[in-house]
Amino acid sequence: MSSGYKPDILWSPHHADRYVICDTELSLYRIGPAGSSETKAGALPLSEETAATLLAINSDTPYMKCVAWYPKQEPECLLAVGQANGRVVLTSLGQSHNSKCKELVGKELVPKHARQCNTLAWNPGDSNWLAAGLDKHRADFSVLIWDISSKFSPEAVPAEKVRLSGDVDSGLVVTKPLYELGQNDACLSLCWLPRDHQKLLLAGMHRNLAIFDLRNTSQKTFVNTKAIQGVTVDPHFQDRVASFFEGQVAIWDLRKFEKPVFTLTEQPKPLTKVAWCPTRMGLLATLTRDSNIIRLYDMQHTPMPFGDEVEPTIIERSVQPCSESIISSFAWHPSAQNRMVVVSPNRVMNDFTVFERISLAWSSTTALMWACGRHLYECTEDAGQGVAAAEKDIATKMRERAQSHYGHDTVQVWRNHVLAGGDDPQLRSLWYTLHYILHCSYTENVEQKQQSNKQSLIYSGIKNIVKSSSGTTETRRCWSGSDRQTDVPWYHSEERSLALQLCGWISRGPDIDVEPFLKSLEQEGEWERAAAVALFNLDIRRAIQILNKGASAEKGDLNLNVVAMALSGYTDEKNSLWREMCSSLRLQLKKPYLCVMFAFLTSEPGAYDAVLYESRVAVRDRVAFACMFLNDAQLPRYIDKLANEMKEAGNLEGILLTGLTKDGVDLMESYVDQTGDVQTASFCMLKGSPGEVLKDPRVQCWIENYRNLLDAWRFWHKRAEFDIHRSKLDSSSKPLAQVFVSCNFCGKSISYSCSAMPHQGRGFSQYGVSGSPTKSKVTSCPGCRKPLPRCALCLMNMGTPVSSCPGTGKADEKADLTRDKKLAQFNNWFTWCHNCRHGGHAGHMLSWFRDHSECPVSACTCKCMQLDTTGNLVPSDSV
Amino acid sequence: MDLHILDHRLRVTSISKTGLEQYTHPLIKLIFLRNRTRCKFFSLTETPENYTVVLDEEGFKELQPSEHLQVEGSTWLPLNVVSNGNASSSSQSVGVTKIAKSVIAPLAEQHVSVFMLSTYQTDFILVREKDLSVVVESLVEEFNIFREEGGESVPVHSQDACNGLQRNVHPVLIPENQFCVMSLDPDTLPAIATILIDVLFYSNSPKPGASIDQDMECIKFFSFSMIDGYVSLVMDKEAQKQFPTDLLFTSSSGELWRMGRIGGQPLGFGELQIPSFDHLNAACIL
Repeated sequence: MSSGYKPDILWSPHHADRYVICDTELSLYRIGPAGSSETKAGALPLSEETAATLLAINSDTPYMKCVAWYPKQEPECLLAVGQANGRVVLTSLGQSHNSKCKELVGKELVPKHARQCNTLAWNPGDSNWLAAGLDKHRADFSVLIWDISSKFSPEAVPAEKVRLSGDVDSGLVVTKPLYELGQNDACLSLCWLPRDHQKLLLAGMHRNLAIFDLRNTSQKTFVNTKAIQGVTVDPHFQDRVASFFEGQVAIWDLRKFEKPVFTLTEQPKPLTKVAWCPTRMGLLATLTRDSNIIRLYDMQHTPMPFGDEVEPTIIERSVQPCSESIISSFAWHPSAQNRMVVVSPNRVMNDFTVFERISLAWSSTTALMWACGRHLYECTEDAGQGVAAAEKDIATKMRERAQSHYGHDTVQVWRNHVLAGGDDPQLRSLWYTLHYILHCSYTENVEQKQQSNKQSLIYSGIKNIVKSSSGTTETRRCWSGSDRQTDVPWYHSEERSLALQLCGWISRGPDIDVEPFLKSLEQEGEWERAAAVALFNLDIRRAIQILNKGASAEKGDLNLNVVAMALSGYTDEKNSLWREMCSSLRLQLKKPYLCVMFAFLTSEPGAYDAVLYESRVAVRDRVAFACMFLNDAQLPRYIDKLANEMKEAGNLEGILLTGLTKDGVDLMESYVDQTGDVQTASFCMLKGSPGEVLKDPRVQCWIENYRNLLDAWRFWHKRAEFDIHRSKLDSSSKPLAQVFVSCNFCGKSISYSCSAMPHQGRGFSQYGVSGSPTKSKVTSCPGCRKPLPRCALCLMNMGTPVSSCPGTGKADEKADLTRDKKLAQFNNWFTWCHNCRHGGHAGHMLSWFRDHSECPVSACTCKCMQLDTTGNLVPSDSV
Repeated sequence: MDLHILDHRLRVTSISKTGLEQYTHPLIKLIFLRNRTRCKFFSLTETPENYTVVLDEEGFKELQPSEHLQVEGSTWLPLNVVSNGNASSSSQSVGVTKIAKSVIAPLAEQHVSVFMLSTYQTDFILVREKDLSVVVESLVEEFNIFREEGGESVPVHSQDACNGLQRNVHPVLIPENQFCVMSLDPDTLPAIATILIDVLFYSNSPKPGASIDQDMECIKFFSFSMIDGYVSLVMDKEAQKQFPTDLLFTSSSGELWRMGRIGGQPLGFGELQIPSFDHLNAACIL
């Protein structure tokens, strides 16, 4: 279709490795892998992998204006060439000597009046038919359909008349076309309709696109438009046609031919070629004059013209096949996906494959999928046993935990960390903390019901407990089992005792007895920790005993004996060799608890930084230690510092310090920010003392998100259990809506977005294309923008308009609000039969069932109304 | 039948034979250097008396006023009759004879002067802009009238009117020469530039190769027009011999035309009810 002087390119319809470049002559090329034995020395490289070999040149046809390749397999290289004087010549490339070809090659189809031939098209059904579009003539037709097999040359043309058309072998000249169409105007472009081979789409007829049916040429369908320079039918969607004019492309649907379905954004320069990709659905490539880029329009998601609910989404992008050079023309490869060859004005060719846009989908169950071209890739988490729990995605962990009833053990609260898998020290610490808090609060409750401020103190964390501390006594205790006095000051108060309880070191009671705690540690095989706790309680013998036990236990570490020996040599003499060696060698100990034991023994009284800031030691042990050995000035400072560290790090061990207070929510926020673990956050905060923390919007947000997560996983029962659990713990939570209308496509509740967050258009951002923000319509799902079901009666998509968002109304508008607050008229409500699941607008359904008992859906015989007991009742107002 | 009022505003001018040399520069520019002007409508016709140039306002700016340039005062609008593909009319041609009957005669009844301009591709009927309302009124009965504005066709409607008939009779001369109506690929225009210049501007100088026709019955006539990128040439057989045969388009039957000349006197503007320049086709021989 381009002018003869700029090279155009044409793929063979049957040989995927051959194409023709036409400018002033026709050159046939074969494309093959670069560097293979097949390619000869003269091969032109087209890309890194491919090269082209020139097979044949044909320069028999001057003044070429357009070329069309014979669509049948045989003869293989037959081309029709339209010339500037309107003649169409059949010619061939390459030496194919078969008889049928010989008969046809050289045949000329001559119009009555000479003028430029603009376009040619072979009929896809009857390959003898060739349509030619010509410029206008005052008294002739502009579209001639020739039969190339015809030998009939109507009147014997007198010799002098032939003079103008040059020397002619009359057997090869056809002057009588099969059909003539379109008078007194030019035909700029034409194509046969693939759906019906008798129909022809013409562009340029009196500024019209017109469809002629050859069975009745007097009738035509036409539409007035400027976009007539070229037409091309989408090979994948035969009712879709692109036509262009200057810089504008219009997309038409032949079933609704009155106006374009849409037009593409106008280009500043005139278009020279527009072509649908034959290997990819809905991909249109356009080229403008003197440009080095090809623009691609992806219309894959464009709806049918009848589905006018959603605005068409077109993704526009551009490719630059050869870096700087201007592109003269391009042609899609007929079979290789998204591949094209481009040619520059000086005939430099380039083989190029358009990289497919990648679309990505992330399922709620951590599987990731993406599609590229015709390939679909799935990336799932390795579910094998080899994967360490720590490497699992939090969503997977949360799913597993939800299935194992994580968070639901309200009696033995600490067990929840076992339900969570039991391998996360932070969760372990958190659940123990919560366990101790609840335990203390419970016993407190039983014993002293009147002391409610103490009650709340338990929840407010050690940080606040310590601050309220008063009446601390300082004592010098003896090493147990010896009457030697230590020079270590030891502090005690009621609050400190409470803190120790919360740390789990001691159980309730007036005296400090860590023996049960030590026993439980021994049972769990935490020898070092037990020894350290014993030592901090100034019981070296117990510590040594524990270490010995540890060494002799199954799988015990024999080194513990050595440690025990080292420990037994303790002396409080300041300058002893023991002290000197221990303080330097302790740093080489790998086990943190062993390390802090020697740190404690070698420290000056009151300067226990080596113990307090040993981060590998559990926070609860360090805090308990601090509560015993730091004075009233040091202790709050240390706790504050530690609490802030924990808050910043989002370390759940810090909940011990912050308690379930606003501070605790801050800490949890930082934890959730890092891990996304809304599950733990929700359960933890639900354990809080009534009211306070649950009112925090962050907590509400975690809870809502966790519930949505359960919904998205389709853990309906878990969600219900959670709701029950929640209503037990949080009496203020109002009864929640239990029935939702969920979208057929994404499964989310369609009312969800109204209540929670502002909707973000997904359609464009998904592709990383900045587009106009798409407004969500009432009749589409706010989650995924897909249309909602249609009403069985009016066939309109359902949807309830939101007239006003709650909370926006001002006080003086309150009177109106009561009415406005209603989401929609009852008539617009969703209604459906629970049996056949058909339904529609409530108003329509009501009026239908006033006269009918059967479902309005034509093929459905469900007697919806009779299934409903109220269906037999007569409304009171009609009596 | 549709009648399209085209989106061109035309001036009709006449350059005297003696003053031609003053205008060769703008004319060559308009003919051969299409990219240098924004002229979309250009027609040059050589008659025995003068050169008639019809061109749009962009092209008109190129012509310097002088005593040799006679300009018709009004702006003319081209009309174009197209068959709209209805069963009745698609088979028969829309020739000047039909136009004369269906367009010119009704206009003549309304005393509207028209100017016919025929090309290889089509026929244009030029009317004065001020007459447009009368034109629309007289023709709205028979035609669907569209006005083309910026590439869009806008339907035009009007109230009907009717008036009396007055007919002038003019003598018709039929000169001996035979004429060819031809076209050309605008891209090949440079290839025939020298011949064209020779024919256009040096038609009176004797040519060594060509036999000079002394027959007084022959008449000097040559027309070149370029409208919307379409080139149309009308020349007699003698002139045609100078052109290479493979570049010019014509009908395969090689049909030739004879001229029927009306009036025969120097043609003024706006004097004749029956226009002056449609004589080419009115007397078709083949």
